[in-house]
Amino acid sequence: MIWIVLLGPVITLLTHLSGSAIASSLTAPGALDPLVVSLESGGVTLAVLLLVCTPLSWMLARGTLPFPRIWEAGVLCSLLLPPLVIGLLLIFMVGPYTPFGELIAHWNLSATNTFLALVIAQVYESAPYYVLGAQAAFSSVDPRLEQQAALLGDRPRRVFRRVTLPLAAPGLAMALAIAWARAMGAFGAVVVIAYHPFGLPMQIWTTLQVTGLPSALPFALVLLVVALPLPLAAYIWSARARGRRRG
Amino acid sequence: MLEADVEVDRREFTLRAAISVAPGERLALFGPSGAGKTTLLEAVAGLVPPRRGRVALGGQVLTSTEPPKAAIPAWQRQVGLLRQDPGLFPHLSVRANLAYARGADPAGAELTGLANALGIGALLDAMPARLSGGQQHRVALGRLLLAHCHALLLDEPYSGLDAALRRTLTALVVAMVAERQVPAVLVAHELADAQAFANRMAVLDHGSVLQIGGPDEVVRRPATRRVAELVGYLGFVPLPASRPGGVVAGIHPDRVMTGADPAVGVVVTGLLTGCRPSGAGWEADLELSGDKAGAAGTVTVRLAERPATDAGEVTVTAVDPPVFGEDDRAIAAPSGPAAWAAVPKGSGP
Repeated sequence: MIWIVLLGPVITLLTHLSGSAIASSLTAPGALDPLVVSLESGGVTLAVLLLVCTPLSWMLARGTLPFPRIWEAGVLCSLLLPPLVIGLLLIFMVGPYTPFGELIAHWNLSATNTFLALVIAQVYESAPYYVLGAQAAFSSVDPRLEQQAALLGDRPRRVFRRVTLPLAAPGLAMALAIAWARAMGAFGAVVVIAYHPFGLPMQIWTTLQVTGLPSALPFALVLLVVALPLPLAAYIWSARARGRRRG
Repeated sequence: MLEADVEVDRREFTLRAAISVAPGERLALFGPSGAGKTTLLEAVAGLVPPRRGRVALGGQVLTSTEPPKAAIPAWQRQVGLLRQDPGLFPHLSVRANLAYARGADPAGAELTGLANALGIGALLDAMPARLSGGQQHRVALGRLLLAHCHALLLDEPYSGLDAALRRTLTALVVAMVAERQVPAVLVAHELADAQAFANRMAVLDHGSVLQIGGPDEVVRRPATRRVAELVGYLGFVPLPASRPGGVVAGIHPDRVMTGADPAVGVVVTGLLTGCRPSGAGWEADLELSGDKAGAAGTVTVRLAERPATDAGEVTVTAVDPPVFGEDDRAIAAPSGPAAWAAVPKGSGP
């Protein structure tokens, strides 16, 4: 019953859509441009998370950072801040009249209403989910297995590649998939700092404002179709990986 | 030669221990839980940095806190460690686990031969989760042996296994140590495990090595009363004042014979207060006459036959028991039957 209730919005979306409405909305000139923008910015966001947040997650899991509670509190803080507030604060942090804004202006870059701004907003909205998920994934790897690999002659990098990463991979995949879904649906911070370029959430919002609810629903479906497969694939892959370990 | 002389700070105490193990020698670290045995192994393996000390293997200094300082990382030490938890990599097959160490050939004859010797030859393609506890231990042992380490550290590796499998694995490791001439150290809190494995035994308690000697010597001639307690002496009988220097004699349950024979040891007569089966014999509690209160007046002995009486006096002779002075240190034991004969019959208080 709860399952049905939780799926209610998706079921409602599917029952209120017709083929003709989808076709007319999505075949309009430039209608799919926001999809491309969202996919590109989402891809860059995932790359940033992988490169920057994976080491942080590992260090949090292994307790190698000084004052680990302070680091964790910082991650939780960004998770608990309302996205709209994050957007407002980002203006004061990376806006054109801030030291950061003036610095990147030397390379003709801007962190407001640009692709860079969209990526920054998506990173801020999705990073806590990835860091906490990845931290849990790394924590689930028994450090004594890593010690055993080292005693069998593996350097730390090799231990990470042969033991830590494969064992944490299912959890990491789930964390990354959730971060992807959050990045795809990022709106609160985006509407403040990256109204342009239009991503899918902004497209849904402006369509709703300009032409009404029925016209916005096809874009909502596109957002779901884009955002959900990766988490679903990650879930299935994780389950299979755990099944393989059980033999 | 494996040499370690380290001090490691622990929450409750500081471990201060020095051991040396020759190539082909098997040393057992025996002691109660929390004595510091595992910490000592981890310091040797490079998993725990000592506050002070030196570890050397085959002439190469692995750890030194004195100049020239050294801290060879664990992956370069070529020291193998097998723990109670087999620590198999759950995402790798048995074959991949066995061949994990660098240089091990997954399809080589050595791997196949060792797997067959360990009785896991038919399980090479299985995942660790499908194996029983005993099979997992055998795979972990095989992985350790295939790594061709220059020293073997075994941290209670057979806990939870049945007696037959323990004997089999112990015999295999003993043979391998002899063949490869590497030093081996076993941590055990079961005396039988330590004695079955080692040709030298060190007794650890609260971070200190109390005694090092042959497995039989440590049990028959414990250096202190504490060592005697740790190796299984369950009663201490006061000796008469006529015996110079000696205050108490240790009674080991397994080193008693029924009846009085002052020519071979201390004769003890006590009231039978409990009797129960123990292995192939019987374990009996004797309350010594003249001291009805306190555990010091009770000794536990193991007898081949059940005592004839359920609640009468029983007389046994503790064979050649160790004798301790007022400072709880062992004093020279009487030598020969005539010496024991000098101790009056019924030497209990």
